[in-house]
Amino acid sequence: MNEITRRHFFAKSATGLGLAALGSLLPGEAQARGGLGGLPHFAPKAKRVIYLFQHGAPSQLDLFDYKPELAKLRGVDLPASIRMGQRLTGMTAYQTTFPTAPSIFKFAQHGSSGMWLSELLPHTAKAADHLCLVKSMHTEAINHDPAVTFFQTGFQLAGRPSIGSWLSYGLGSESEDLPAFVVMVSQGKGNAQALADRQWASGFLPTRYQGVKFRSGADPVLFLSDPSGYSTEARRRFLDDLAQMNQVKLREYQDPEIATRIAQYEMAFRMQASVPELADLSKEPESTFELYGEDSRTPGTYAANCILARRLAERGVRFIQLFHRGWDQHGNLPADIKKQCVQTDQPSAALVLDLQRRGMLEDTLVVWGGEFGRTVYSQGTLTETNYGRDHHPRCFSMWLAGGGIKGGMSYGETDEFSYNIAGNPVDVHDLHATILHCLGVDHTKLTYKFQGRHYRLTDVHGRVVKDLLA
Amino acid sequence: MILFLRLSTLLLLATAALAQRRVEFNRDVRPILSDKCFLCHGPDAVNRKIPLRLDSEAAAKADLGNRRAIVEGNPKLSGLMHRITAEKTAVRMPPAYSGLKLSPEEVETLRTWIAQGARWEKHWAFNPPRRAEPPAVKQRGWVRNPIDAFILARLERAALAPSSEAAKETLLRRVSLDLTGVAPSPDEMDAFLKDRSANAYEKAVDRLLGSPRYGERMAARWLDAARYADTNGYQYDGERVMWRWRDWVIDAFNRNQRFDQFTLEQVAGDLLPARRLDQVIATGFNRNHRGNTEDGIIPEEYRVEYVVDRVETTSTVFLGLTLGCARCHNHKYDPFTQKEFYQLFAYFNNVPEMGRAMKYGNSPPLVPAPTADQEGAQKRLQQRIDALERIVNGHATPASWTETAHWRLSSGLDAWFPFDQAENTTAGVFDKAGVFDGTAAPEFAGVAAYDIGDHFTLSAWVKPEGAGGAPPANGAIVSRMADTARGKGIGLYLREGKLHFHITSNYNDDAIRMESEGKVPAGDWHHVAVTYNGSVAASGAQFYIDGRAVKAVVSQDTLYRPFRNAGSRFREPFLIGAGGGKENRFRGAIDEVLLYGRALSSEEVEAVAARSATPGSSRLRWSYLSTDAPLEIREAWGELHRVRREKEKLERSFPTVMVMGEMETPRQTHLLLRGAYDKPGEAVASGVPESLHKMPAGAPANRLGLAQWLISKENPLMARVTVNRFWQMYFGTGLVKTVEDFGVQGEWPTHPELLDWLATEFVRTGWDVKAMQKLIVTSATYRQSSKATPELIQKDPENRLLARMSRVRLPAEMIRDQMLHAAGLLSEKIGGPSVKPYQPDGLWKELTMQDSDYVLSQGEDLYRRSLYTFWKRTVSPPMMMNFDSSMRESCTVRESRTNTPLQALNLMNDVTFLEAARRVGERMMREGGASPDQRLGYGFRLLLARYPAAEERKILAGSLSYHLDYFATKPERVDAYLTQGASPIAAGLDRRELAAYASVASLIVNLDEAVNRE
Repeated sequence: MNEITRRHFFAKSATGLGLAALGSLLPGEAQARGGLGGLPHFAPKAKRVIYLFQHGAPSQLDLFDYKPELAKLRGVDLPASIRMGQRLTGMTAYQTTFPTAPSIFKFAQHGSSGMWLSELLPHTAKAADHLCLVKSMHTEAINHDPAVTFFQTGFQLAGRPSIGSWLSYGLGSESEDLPAFVVMVSQGKGNAQALADRQWASGFLPTRYQGVKFRSGADPVLFLSDPSGYSTEARRRFLDDLAQMNQVKLREYQDPEIATRIAQYEMAFRMQASVPELADLSKEPESTFELYGEDSRTPGTYAANCILARRLAERGVRFIQLFHRGWDQHGNLPADIKKQCVQTDQPSAALVLDLQRRGMLEDTLVVWGGEFGRTVYSQGTLTETNYGRDHHPRCFSMWLAGGGIKGGMSYGETDEFSYNIAGNPVDVHDLHATILHCLGVDHTKLTYKFQGRHYRLTDVHGRVVKDLLA
Repeated sequence: MILFLRLSTLLLLATAALAQRRVEFNRDVRPILSDKCFLCHGPDAVNRKIPLRLDSEAAAKADLGNRRAIVEGNPKLSGLMHRITAEKTAVRMPPAYSGLKLSPEEVETLRTWIAQGARWEKHWAFNPPRRAEPPAVKQRGWVRNPIDAFILARLERAALAPSSEAAKETLLRRVSLDLTGVAPSPDEMDAFLKDRSANAYEKAVDRLLGSPRYGERMAARWLDAARYADTNGYQYDGERVMWRWRDWVIDAFNRNQRFDQFTLEQVAGDLLPARRLDQVIATGFNRNHRGNTEDGIIPEEYRVEYVVDRVETTSTVFLGLTLGCARCHNHKYDPFTQKEFYQLFAYFNNVPEMGRAMKYGNSPPLVPAPTADQEGAQKRLQQRIDALERIVNGHATPASWTETAHWRLSSGLDAWFPFDQAENTTAGVFDKAGVFDGTAAPEFAGVAAYDIGDHFTLSAWVKPEGAGGAPPANGAIVSRMADTARGKGIGLYLREGKLHFHITSNYNDDAIRMESEGKVPAGDWHHVAVTYNGSVAASGAQFYIDGRAVKAVVSQDTLYRPFRNAGSRFREPFLIGAGGGKENRFRGAIDEVLLYGRALSSEEVEAVAARSATPGSSRLRWSYLSTDAPLEIREAWGELHRVRREKEKLERSFPTVMVMGEMETPRQTHLLLRGAYDKPGEAVASGVPESLHKMPAGAPANRLGLAQWLISKENPLMARVTVNRFWQMYFGTGLVKTVEDFGVQGEWPTHPELLDWLATEFVRTGWDVKAMQKLIVTSATYRQSSKATPELIQKDPENRLLARMSRVRLPAEMIRDQMLHAAGLLSEKIGGPSVKPYQPDGLWKELTMQDSDYVLSQGEDLYRRSLYTFWKRTVSPPMMMNFDSSMRESCTVRESRTNTPLQALNLMNDVTFLEAARRVGERMMREGGASPDQRLGYGFRLLLARYPAAEERKILAGSLSYHLDYFATKPERVDAYLTQGASPIAAGLDRRELAAYASVASLIVNLDEAVNRE
């Protein structure tokens, strides 16, 4: 339907109007590219999402899920009544013992709700009243790639559209010179697992809905910069000539796609200006860098990407997703997680506070979390100061903040080992349904027919977790 | 926008002429029932809250106790009509919670259908194709072949006329791109324009079909369907080697292999009687799926995924069915049960494979797949070996000859430890031997640096402590491994008399462990050896005790990661008498340790293990030949070894390809509850779905039988599905738009009689693929102009009726290939390992683990056709992805085209296209003629295969003069702009002018026409 609409739009507009008029038609084009009829399904609380994906799976036990009683059980084999024969990864399935490893980090209560947070997150603690901490997340996947794919697409095997693609397909873009779905990747200091471009791909949706990766350096978007020796003025002239030539063709063939192509070259030209402007942090006041921390002065860091995320949000980008690698702490966890937190704690919290100060937190949903949790028992040898943790899909923590979400609350309970969920479970589909709900989208109604089936992000599952909503 | 949408809907409705024509069940009604009702009232019982079924006529019209859903001829009495028109939401169907809704038009269709008698039909695609006579048409003169009659009849019904034939230039560019993937050269175009004969076009088509480029073009789409890639996918995404399969596909298209045979060999080439290597290579089709190598996976979970992938791919490609939907439950729309899914699963479930793929390289089962050149070289070496053997064998050992000096097999010897100069020695087998007391052990750095894929032999004489056959001490004989109990590396141990051989990457789940059945007695000298052929499987290792092969018991056979892995090095020293921890020191004496960088033959091990050369033994013979035979014989003997090693080296360099195989004892297949690997339900045997055609008589109950079933004349689907994909290649859309789904949720064909005619024609001509392409591209339908009119766009926006030829955006690979071709850069080389052309720096590094970085190819390999571009699944080539290439994660048959700003950036600023533009600029100046106008026209022709029109010439000339000024103003811009890519900037040309011409070439590269086939 979208296709026909667009074709008709250009059949009507571009053929009848001269080249000069095309420029002013572009906002119309932007609207035509965006969104399905009937969406949003109801008044949205959030207009956009910033998803801070902590890739590799941070340990809930050392950051969020406070278990003071575990100190007494240090080194004690995890009781079978807790493990309940659940499957383990091949990395610890052969361990003869599963020694309980309490976190060596101190926890304290923060904010008016008294949210327990680890000493590793002093900045996050300051934003506690904005956060909705969900401690009862669980997933089906036990290995990184399927688990990330599950979070991104609602299915463990590659091939379905990512959540950002679904949203740009359903809601379109609010920006005329930036893509609707932008991704940024930063490198952590700990054990990193591989990531893949398909994690932000559009699956069976048309590729125009795929996430566009912004990189640090000369070309924030691939092929953005004109070749050296070629000025913006030359490019402008080039595009004018190109449009004229394409107009000749359009007159002769009447193919609406030619008009679209003319418009897309104009959009590309605008991106050549808007993206470097966006990526250029030199005009940010000193206070910004103080807020986001020292790292934020270095392009490509998680902190710098958090500033960019705010700038993208300001410019109307629908779905902004950061991936920060390096959370896969099978061994040497205490030292490595500390480094990861030094990189991520301050900027994550700064982003929430910054949005709030600018009045944007109301309609921006911020999500923070990894692809699964980590085990309470030590992978490898447990010592006084060192331990490792294996993958744990049965419970882990994430936080949400802003648009449509109740701040200053902790939700869900785990058992005394943070091994099983004791109350209010939230699965990946529920999270997706809830995110969509905040954006005014009924997750059962955002569908796309492919191979005879009406696919949706939440497959045949998912429920909106109303308790989390403001 | 909503206004336009409504308008178009109304138009479509008007043209469908619903009100007047008879409503057809298959075309009009079943799609509604299927899409909106089957979810709960279809083949799967799970959602069915009441017994009503709408997928079978009997059930839909059954008496449900005074109520009937459908009463023939009477909508008012039909319960269905009441429910779908009910005012109350609680009563109305489909229920609100389903998210489904019937449009007023759909309700009317159902009402009309019931009023007209509610006639039911079997789903069209499950009926065999019916070959109808090409229909009579008014404009008979337009018809070139039967395709046109079907197309024209439909146009005439819609009161539309076909378009005129495209200009000759357009036509040759169109058919050249469509059949070979590159545009015609100016010479080819001139020859065609000059040829005034009536069959000039047919001659051009024949020339193109005979070009080797044709096979590459056809293969490109097949690789999408077969999810071909050069890496494993999932997380680590290590490299695999499947290009021999890819080259087999190109060759199959070029030699015009019958499509039924093409299918048979890919599905079951390994099971054919008297199969050839190429037929086994063909089965790589079903091994192109992803493979998971992540540390810590549960292998069975992924082994099941591989089998599921094969079922899904097979059903999409050869049947156009979405059988994968029946993995977790009965199909919601089509008549396939979950059990039937697992019956098909059973055909693909007997591959001797592991769920965990090899981290680097191919996973078994695999075969060495030499190229023709390699086979030639192998044959020549074998001939040389035969000749040398004749010389050597022609010379007998003198009967009285005895060994004087101790002989040692030196061919392929990497290291030799005789212990004759050692500190702590005792009498050995040959001179002195080393004494091992369980404490110190000698270390040798840099020796035996074998990894899991290497070939090697470990050989030693041992005298374990103990007497009279008492259990000897445990201990390592030789090792190269971390000196801990479960350390990484290679070790040969003696434990309670038995030989143990370990290759360990991770002791738990990434290792080979095996022990000998026979024992080595203590207290005396015995020879022990193990050979290993690099197969990464226990079956590739062989124990020997005293020169005789002994059987092994394998306790672990799951090796998948090399020692040097993901950037980690492996620097352990070689140890004698130690390895595997302090408790594992050898006690006794060791002599004559020999390490070979190859797996010795049993005859060689026997000779190495012989203490003395007995008359008639190989050892005596070899000892003579290498020490005491006449000079020319000794030289021949030495040469023989050299050539044998050369042949071994060549054979080890053969690319391998993953292929299908059958286990001797098939796995028992179970229905998997909810599709989960760990929830087996009832046992099922292989079989084909009940609602499709029967197995051919006498077909075996294995994959070969399945392949015979697929290519059987009774199969209603394969020919239709295949010609429909061909149709999509030329017209942008299939006759059935849902090329992947011919089930009830698929789209009704725009021209059902034509589809059936083509399908029957395909079978009638013996599945002749080239003939089918020729039929399509020589039709008047194909030869039409692709110019549209506002009226046509209004009436038929998607051009489904084909009153004009479709104007189609080129596939990604064709965009790049034809630009390189115009630039004179495109390499003509066919096949071979995949190559790495330009891509922006750092893309792999950002996402992958540390040891995989993109290393740019050199020279010709930068300019190979795009189907040879290395396809890394997790970081796909960005240009290909920008232009809608399939991801190669899973089977993709639907072509997709979008139009985005990223494409614009890609064509403007990617070095690939800037370098090509510069080269076109050079060709303009060198070959184009003297005047700027001639030169511009020539460049235009190189890229677009036509001369520019006057208006275009003016714009191009304006652009040229702008750029001449632009580069003149700041001369430093010139070299900066021209420095693009690895090819040198042509000498002897004015650089400022060149930069200007290159800029105009770039302009042409970016034209909509350049990326479209008109």
